[in-house]
Amino acid sequence: MRDVNFAMTQTQKVRLKRALQCLRDCSVASSPVIVADTIPVNLEDNILKGHGTAELEGEVVATLCGAVERVNKLVLVRPFRARYKPEIGDIVVGRVIEVAPKRWRLDINFIQDAILMLSSMNLPDGIQRRRTAVDELNMRSIFEENDVICAEVRGSQNDGSLHLQARSQKYGKLEKGQLLSVSPYLVKRRKQHFHYLEQYGVDLILGCNGYIWVGAHSDGGGKNEDFEDLSAKLEDKMEVEVSPLAPHKEEASSVPLGTRENVCRLANAIRILSLLGFNISMELILDTVVASVTWNTTVRDMLGGEFYTRIAEREAERRSSKRATQV
Amino acid sequence: MASKSGTISTYSPLFSRKNPNFTNGVRSDGRHFHECRLAFLRTGAVNAASGSAYAEFGNTKVIVSVFGPRESKKAMMYSDTGRLNCSVSFTTFSTPIRGQGSEHKEFSSMLHKALEGAIMLETFPKTTVDVFALVLESGGSELPVIISCASLALADAGIAMFDLVTSVSVSCFKDDLVIDPVFEEESCQDGSLMIVCMPLRNEVTQLTVTGEWSTPKVHEAMDLCLGACSKLGDIMRLCLKEAASTLQ
Repeated sequence: MRDVNFAMTQTQKVRLKRALQCLRDCSVASSPVIVADTIPVNLEDNILKGHGTAELEGEVVATLCGAVERVNKLVLVRPFRARYKPEIGDIVVGRVIEVAPKRWRLDINFIQDAILMLSSMNLPDGIQRRRTAVDELNMRSIFEENDVICAEVRGSQNDGSLHLQARSQKYGKLEKGQLLSVSPYLVKRRKQHFHYLEQYGVDLILGCNGYIWVGAHSDGGGKNEDFEDLSAKLEDKMEVEVSPLAPHKEEASSVPLGTRENVCRLANAIRILSLLGFNISMELILDTVVASVTWNTTVRDMLGGEFYTRIAEREAERRSSKRATQV
Repeated sequence: MASKSGTISTYSPLFSRKNPNFTNGVRSDGRHFHECRLAFLRTGAVNAASGSAYAEFGNTKVIVSVFGPRESKKAMMYSDTGRLNCSVSFTTFSTPIRGQGSEHKEFSSMLHKALEGAIMLETFPKTTVDVFALVLESGGSELPVIISCASLALADAGIAMFDLVTSVSVSCFKDDLVIDPVFEEESCQDGSLMIVCMPLRNEVTQLTVTGEWSTPKVHEAMDLCLGACSKLGDIMRLCLKEAASTLQ
């Protein structure tokens, strides 16, 4: 998703160049470092060397390409393009790659596969109980391979493997939408990662791992109902010990065209923002979407040179005016 | 088994070696002996990879893509350091003789040797990093170009390294040392020397010497290579800086 070369006219190129230059001037963040650059520190401060740094001849050097961050005495480098580094409590979006005994393996853009244990998620019937062998056999009725799901980071084991949990109704399978993947660097940790945009009828989940879900809104209540329905079905079939899930009834209820367009519009807004390397925040996404509507940009034209340039200019203008007020 | 007529006998092979085409210290492509080819470097050539780079040194064109770190296959033994997997292949149209494209085992292992010293493998246990190099056109000195390009791709992928790895080779002709040889020069050289080093740390991760060398000549060649390596390092850092600043 980078270095996408939109067909641009000469004037657009010039405008884009100017906007990017302006953005670069306005950036408050410390200048980026690359591998083996010396990070200027005051050695008398007893600094702590964090991730992405190493010591060479009494100097602190970077071992990654990224931005230097300082938290009190800790100096660390946050890489621009690297795998996701999980922290406990992060909300992540991932894709099931394997159904293993008592667990699902998920791809969450971490260096290893994440593990979601059957025991660390709420069963569809909502009852707290020991997981039986029957539950284990019915795991595929909850999540199958290639399902996109949303979960929370529970912690890592001694051997470095990562465990997830999904102990709430808000976690679970995601359907009827798009999965986008951006650099994890661009998604900052916030209080709120689940967003329901009422005006568009769209759910938005900003996974800390850089996977972003844009989908048609699924009502929390409806979901429950669904689960109950499903568990009833399961109970019916438990005696026979099979659960070929009856064809989803969701398939029957299709998403209206307007919502689908909104999903695509939001997704394209996020794509453009990630191409420009802006932090993906709810406000910025909404702002971009509103801009696209007011400029009468069609959904497909959002991935074009003109819109790309205008968004860059808009952000450049905002940042420079912000800086002007600060000074 | 010898035929009775006795007409068939062995003969010593004839080396038809052309002499390099040097006139007044200028090489066939107009460079001086101690002048490298122009380099073009760019990161982000392959979208699907975690990191990638494209390098063009004269006619030598190389794409390197890095995948990972990703979980090692179950069949592999447990290891508390990461694994590095390197593969170098040529396209079928890379050489003047068509249809020779395949994995180059020797280059693959040399690439592995050159990179493993620079990557901090202990930072990603139980995982594997795959480095795939593809030579689009081979115009001489492929291995040094591949190695430099690979380190650029690794940096782009956000893999922790001590320093960028740069590499330059030198060909030896009777009295002359020729840096960054092209295909024709490589085919008639008396010996070659390749240095892989980390310029900012002044450490060498690999040194390959073939052919006949005298001690003073080796010294001269090494100085030449290290000088070129540090210059190449500057160019590579510039390329990464540029890529990083657009991401800000």
